[in-house]
Parts: sequence; structure tokens; C-alpha cells
Amino acid sequence: MKMDVSWKDITLVMPMVAIFLTSLIPITIKVLRGNREQNPLATLIQGLSGLLIALGLLVVVGTIADGASAFNNALLFDPITQWLGAVAIISAGASLVMMYENPATKGEQFSELTFLTMSSVVGMLILVAAVDLLTVFIGMEMMSLSLYLMIGMSHEEKLSKEAALKYFILGSFASAIFLFGTAYIFGTTGSTNILNFIQDTAGLVQSNRLFLFGITFVMIGFCFKVSIAPFHAWTPDVYQGAPTPHAAFMATAVKAVSFAAFLRLVATKSLVGSANLFDVLQWLAVITMIVGNVAAILQNNLKRMLAYSSISHSGYILIGLITAGVSDDGSFGASSVIFYLLSYSIMTLGSFALISMMEKNPESITNVDDLAGLAKSRPVLALCFTVFMLSLAGLPPTLGFFSKFYLFSSAIKEGLLWLALWGVINSVISVYYYLRPVVTMYMKEGDAQIAGHNLTATTVTIFVSALFIALLGFVSGPIFSAVERSFL
Amino acid sequence: MILSAIVFLPILFALILTFWPKENSIRPLALGFSLVEFFLSLSLLQRFDPTTAALQMTEKSMWIPRFGIQYYLGIDGISLWLVLLTTFLTPIIILASWKSIEYRIKGFHVAMFVLQTAMLGTFLAMDAVFFYVFWELSLIPMYFIIGIWGGANRIYATIKFFIFTMLGSVLMLVAIIYMMYLTQEATGTMSASLLDFYKLKIPFVGHDFFSLQTMLFFAFAGAFAIKVPIFPVHTWLPDAHVEAPTPGSVILAGVMLKMGTYCFLRWIIPLFPEAAEYWGWVFLVLGTVGIIYGALVAMVQPDIKKLVAYSSVSHMGYIVIGIFVFNQYGITGGLFQMLSHGISTGALFLLIGMIYERTHSREISKYGGLASVAPLYSIVFFIITLSSIAVPMTNGFVGEFLVLLGVFKAQPIYTYFAISGVVLGAVYMLWMYKRVFFGEKGELFKDEHHPIADLNYREMAVMLPLVVMVFWMGLFPNHFIDYSKASIDHLVKNRTNYSLAQDELKNENTQARWQGEGK
Repeated sequence: MKMDVSWKDITLVMPMVAIFLTSLIPITIKVLRGNREQNPLATLIQGLSGLLIALGLLVVVGTIADGASAFNNALLFDPITQWLGAVAIISAGASLVMMYENPATKGEQFSELTFLTMSSVVGMLILVAAVDLLTVFIGMEMMSLSLYLMIGMSHEEKLSKEAALKYFILGSFASAIFLFGTAYIFGTTGSTNILNFIQDTAGLVQSNRLFLFGITFVMIGFCFKVSIAPFHAWTPDVYQGAPTPHAAFMATAVKAVSFAAFLRLVATKSLVGSANLFDVLQWLAVITMIVGNVAAILQNNLKRMLAYSSISHSGYILIGLITAGVSDDGSFGASSVIFYLLSYSIMTLGSFALISMMEKNPESITNVDDLAGLAKSRPVLALCFTVFMLSLAGLPPTLGFFSKFYLFSSAIKEGLLWLALWGVINSVISVYYYLRPVVTMYMKEGDAQIAGHNLTATTVTIFVSALFIALLGFVSGPIFSAVERSFL
Repeated sequence: MILSAIVFLPILFALILTFWPKENSIRPLALGFSLVEFFLSLSLLQRFDPTTAALQMTEKSMWIPRFGIQYYLGIDGISLWLVLLTTFLTPIIILASWKSIEYRIKGFHVAMFVLQTAMLGTFLAMDAVFFYVFWELSLIPMYFIIGIWGGANRIYATIKFFIFTMLGSVLMLVAIIYMMYLTQEATGTMSASLLDFYKLKIPFVGHDFFSLQTMLFFAFAGAFAIKVPIFPVHTWLPDAHVEAPTPGSVILAGVMLKMGTYCFLRWIIPLFPEAAEYWGWVFLVLGTVGIIYGALVAMVQPDIKKLVAYSSVSHMGYIVIGIFVFNQYGITGGLFQMLSHGISTGALFLLIGMIYERTHSREISKYGGLASVAPLYSIVFFIITLSSIAVPMTNGFVGEFLVLLGVFKAQPIYTYFAISGVVLGAVYMLWMYKRVFFGEKGELFKDEHHPIADLNYREMAVMLPLVVMVFWMGLFPNHFIDYSKASIDHLVKNRTNYSLAQDELKNENTQARWQGEGK
């Protein structure tokens, strides 16, 4: 195969290049200084500015690319790339801020951590843009390998090592299954590019057993990454064991980009159009919501609870994916998925940021009961956390309500009333555990305090996300329309 | 602008209070704010034109064009009095909470004003999604009011309240979205406006439970039934009432329950006229059962507050059966009963709160002989008791009488059963009154060194407007009914092609409904 690499291809991948180049700055400085850590604040500023440049470039590239593909259709620059890439970059920025101040990640080795975070974002940007299954694989591995290392690097000695190993082994299994499926698809269709084989999938799924295996394995790979039940079992353990900023990073950025790739595969009428796969995905969505929400009720550890909540949100998002898959033009469903991921990321980042503030040392565990009395000692923070919880539960007038509204209305439009009903019933179940921290903060006596050390940056993260959640709901109409218009 | 001002001023007040630096001046400030709001809402009576059923003082602008969701406020004869009831009760509640709310005073008043906005918005919003936002928003402050300032078992009660109400309303959300797509199918543009919903002709097949109109009807009616609450989904109410602080109980019984019955008039009857008529018997039966069941359970309660809570279940049953006979008497009676129940049950909760502040007990068996200890209190309590058991000349009589008249006219069989609720109401209220106020002095009043004080001036100021209203509404019901007459007549006559738009009302009956087919 002849490869033409034009200047246009190079231009389009500039965001990735920018992040990669800036990610080298902190570790290069560290090497030049004789392996002595520079001021972490400088590292943070370098990292954030790299992400900011990439965000700007992504917007520029998105405008000039206008749906173009690069490197022989390996990467595609369409609205999904642009929006979810932006979500990933913003989440990475917020997580980096938390890492700067979290006891399990700050100080020693912060420049390495910054490098890894940013190289993970490079992988994510590849993943959101990838339309070739092999490119997807490369992006996914680049993202995950960095994450395995990041989790293992935690200053906490036991749980994080276990989490890293667990995530690594299970993640490798999932990647292997994904790759295996890709091989089957290549064997049956002669191509690994989604754009090439997707038109024929409806027929192939019915007629070709090997292709069905292939596509199913690929989907299992995605389901693992976005923690769709029954491939979710790693999520609670890893989120709990990983340092809180990393958990936030995984729950938001990783989820957003993996869903982007999943969306590309599913959001073509041909694939979900085949009855069997449609049924399977539909039930996966229902089971995921129920497993996530019911298991979350039983949790005491806040991070574990949020892990199960993130599982249940994957279930909601899967409804949007199916909607995009069954509709004639997937733009409404896809936009609702993008909007949901955007709002979900903001509220999840905020919640994890508060947990990060509660941690006094690398080993500390935050249970729901530890929040008792927070409303008295830190009323503003308690209010912000309440806003996040209400938004995650989907109560108006928060942003979470509007994202659920758009998601369910897209499902109802495609006649998936059944799924929408499951969705709303599950959001009632979820209210129970989302209200528990609120009950504890406001209605129980206690002396909860946030960790003593300087936490300015994390506090700013919380305030900004709470403000977004509380106010963006009112102007969510134009934002949603902007997402949807970009597909035209 | 007047309606926007009325709905959103409380939010502004809440914001001011949030940033108010001095804790000890919060109460007078909040009282002042709520009085400003009340007088502002009184000006509605001046501007309101009682001769038309059309929506008045409308304010309309696009909010989310993609889905045709509008910022749409409007008032008519049905919502007018409920708005005034809300703004009337709020200053009373704030004055009554002067002593009973002892901690987190700022938070309480902020929650109160947010709640006021949510309730007013629910009564005035004319766009389905806009309405839903207010409807759900009302849960959040109430949740905090019960959960923070409530009794011993408050957390259980508040979560039960929240989850019960939310379960109903999410199904309504699905139905709302579905109806938005029906408008899109009918006209090509999506709309969430209630007035556009009215124009839909939703297919209805009587015996088929799965016909579209029936399903939508139950999705909406379920949400409202939980809020009212209609037997058998009333179980959250006694818990919430008993655990809530006095102001919470008053606002819950006084206004929040009315949100449910109001929505039956505003949404169910005009939107699903055939289904409402066909399935009306379900609500007539449940309402009647609620009347008798509530009264019987109230009779055996050892706790005064729980007794009043169950009496609410009984009284709300009248409103429900009044609405579901679809005639002028029934609906007028239902609407009137909403107001008088708001006044009299609100007053009962306030009175119970006042005595609880002194004795810290609500057990009837510990009382007795209170009449000689606190004569003024006993007189006020007796007036409110009479109002609650619907003695002529009090407000309770008018509502219950009209309801029974309307039900008798349409479905006499239900009257035979419902009327027993009047007798039972007298039984449990008077028996309670006897045990609390007459007879031997109860153990709470044995202690001669700490006599129980009678009503003080603040408490008299709290009760005076309520007592005045009891007689005003009882003696001159037409002062109130006249404002609603046009709206109710219109609702009764034109259920099947209802409209509230000014221009469409002129050529009534000629306007055809849009054809909308479900998927």
C-alpha cells in the first residue's frame, strides 16, 4: 500500500504533536537539572499550557479540516473528534490540577506524572480521531499504558499497586480480545478501516459467523474500556485504588474518548440495524444501568460509589449510542451522547475534586460518613458537592437534567420508549445514593474538615465546575444546537 | 412582566439573604421580603379580568428553540387563587418560624424562598418542560427543610418523600417528551407549550389500556396522584408531615399538595378528556376510599400532628372526587376546597407547632384541660377545628358542600360514601378537641411552677389573618369564586377542545383539533 503523507495530514495532527512536544518539557528539565524535580507549579503550568495550546489547535484544525480524514483514512476530523477531544483535554487539565495538590500524587515525580498524563492525552486524541481499528488500538494502548504507570506511581503503597496490576492485566486481556476481533474482521472483509467495511456489516453479521465474532470481540473491547456490564468488574477496584485525580481522569477523559470510538462503530445504521446486535446492546444498556445503580446504593466508600455511578452513566450513554445507531442520520443521538459526556465529565470532575480535597495523606480513605458536618465547616464546598450530586441524579435545573432530557428525547424520537423508561426509573434509583452524601453533609452531626494543606487550585476546579453545572443548564439549548449543527 | 417578577423575586430574595452578613437581622428581612411579594401578588387581583377564561398577563419567549421549549408564564382563574394562597402563607410561615427554627436560620429562609419560586412557577408555567423544571425544583428545598430542621426520624421521611415524588414525575417527563414529538408530527414544528398540547387529538380507544391517550393519562395522573396524595400512594405524607418542622408542614399541606390537584385541572382534564372520563371512576373510587380511610386512620392516631396529616388525606379525597365528576359544582368545590384546606390545615399545623414549642409533646393522651390553661389558644383552635370539619359559615363548608353537590349530580353513589367522611371528620376532630382541651388536666400541665403561656402577640398576629380568612371565605365565597367562574365554566364546557389562547376563545367550538397519531 502506497502512503501519501501530505502537509495537510501533518497539519491535522498538530494538536497531538503539540501535546507530545510540551509533555517533554518537564522531564527534559528534570534531566538537565540532574534528576532534581523543578518547582511543581512550573511543571503544572507547562502541562496546562500544553493542553491549552492543543485545545486551541483542535478548534482551529476542526474548522479547517471540516470532516476531512488524514493518513489514508486512518484518522477522521469530524465533530465527534472535536467535541470529545475537547472534553478529554479539559478533563486532563482538571485532573492535572488535582494531581498537583493531591497527597498521593504531588511533589516527587510530578514531572513524570505530567508527562504520562499528557502522553495519555495524545493517545486519547488518536483514539477520538481513529476510524481504522488498528489506529484505534494504538490510541487505546497509548492511553492505557500511560494510565497503568500513572496508577502504579501513586505514593500510596498497597491499594494503588493492586489497582494498577488489576487494571493492567484485565486491560491487556481486553486489548487482546479487541485485536483478535480486528483480525477476524480483516480476515472476512479485507480491511480494518471502519469506513470500508461498515456499509456491508448488516449483511455480514447475518451471513458470516466469523465477522460476527470479530465485531463482537471489538465491541467487547470497547465495553471494557467504558465499563459496560458485565465487563465492568474492574472499575470499582481500580477507581478506589487509584489516586483520586487519576480516578477522575479515568471516569471522564477515558470514558469520553472510548465512547467516541464506540460511537463511530455503532452510529452507522447498518450495524445496530441488525436485530441481534441491537437486542444485545439494548440489554447491555439496561443491565449496566441497573448493576451500576443498585451496587452504588451499597457502597460506603465515596470513590467506589462514584465508580458504580460512572458504570450506570455508561448505561445511559449506551442508550444514546443505540439511538444514534438506529436513526437515519445519527446526528441527534450522537449530539446527545456528546452533550451527555460533556456534562457528565464536568460533574464527575467536580465530585472527585472534592474527594481529593478530603484526603489528608496518601493512604486516606473517604467514606460517605466522613462528610458529616461538612455543611457547617465548609458551607460553600458542601453546596457545590450538593450541586454535583443533584446534577448526577438528573434533577432540574442542573445541567445533568438537561443532558438526560436530550438523551431520552432522542431515544423517544427513535421509538426507543422502552429504553427511556428504563433510564428514568434508574435515575430514580440513583437519587437514593446521590442524596446520601447530601444527607450526611447537611443532616448529620460531625466534624468533617478538608485536608489542611494548600488546595487553592482544586478549590478553583470545584467552583468552576459547580458554576458550570448550575448555570449552563439554562443556556444548554444553544450549546446543544451548536453540537448538533456541527454535524451538518 | 408582573408574573416574571412574582415568580423570580423570591429567588432574588434568596440570593440577597445568602450574602446577608448579619444572622440576627435575617428574620425581619425575610418577613419584609415575603410581604413585598404578597402585596405584589395582590396587585394581580386588580389586573385580572374575571370575565374571560383566556390566559392573562402572558409572557412568552423562546428558551430552547431546538425543542420548541418556551419561557411561558400565564395566569387564569384556576391558578390565580393558588398563587395568592402561596404568597399569603409565606409571610405567615416566616413569622411563625420566629422561635421554632433555632439553627441555620439563613439556610432556612433561603430554602423557603427557593421553594416559593418553585411553587409559583409550577402554578404559572405554561410550557411543559418549563413547568417540569419548577415541579422538580420544589422537591429540593423541601427535602432540606424536612431533613435539616425536622424531627427525630427526619432522614427516613425526607428520602421517602423525595423518592416517591420523583418516581411519579420521571414517568411524567417521558410522557412530556412523547407529547412534544406528537406536536411535531401534527404541525411539523416541535413545541412544549401547553397550549399546543391542548390542540392535540390523541387517539383513544376506551377498552384498550394500551391506547395512547390512556397511557399518557396514567403517566401524568400517576405523578399528580402521588403529589396529592391519593390513596394508596399517600404513605409518604404522614411521615413527611410528622417529621417536618412546623413551617415545612404548613407549606407542604397548604400549597404543595395543591400542586397535584391543580395539575389535574390544568393538565389531565383538558389534555386527555376522553381518558379522564373513561377512567374517572378509578379516581372517584380511590378518592372516596381516601376520604373514609383517611378519616378512620386519623381517628385512632395518638399523635395530634399525625391525626391532622391523615385528615389531609381525607380532605384531599374530596378535591379529587370533585374534579373527576367534571361539572361546575364539583370543580368549583374542588378549587374552593384547595384554598380552604390550605388555610385550615395550615392553621392547624401552626397551632400544633405553637403548643409543641411549649410542651415538646404531641401525644394526645398527655394533654387534657388545656382550655383552662390557654383560653385564647383554645378559642382559635376551636374555630379552626370547626373550619376543618366543615361547619356552615366557615370556609370548609363551602368547598365540601359544592363537591358533594357536584358528585351527587353526576355520580350519586359516591356521595353516599363520601358524605360519611363529613361525619367521621367531625368525630375525629371533636374527639381530639375534647381529649386535648377539656377534662382533667393532663400530665403536661400538672407542673404548677411552669405554667403554659397563652398565645403571645406574635402568635396572634400569625393566626389573625387565617381566622379572618376562615370567615371571609365561609361567609362570602363568591368573592373568591367569581374570579374563577369563567375559567371553570370554560373547562367544563370545552373539555374536548380546550384552549386558553385569547384569539381562539372567540370562535369556540369551531376550531378543529390537530390530528396526531402515535407511533
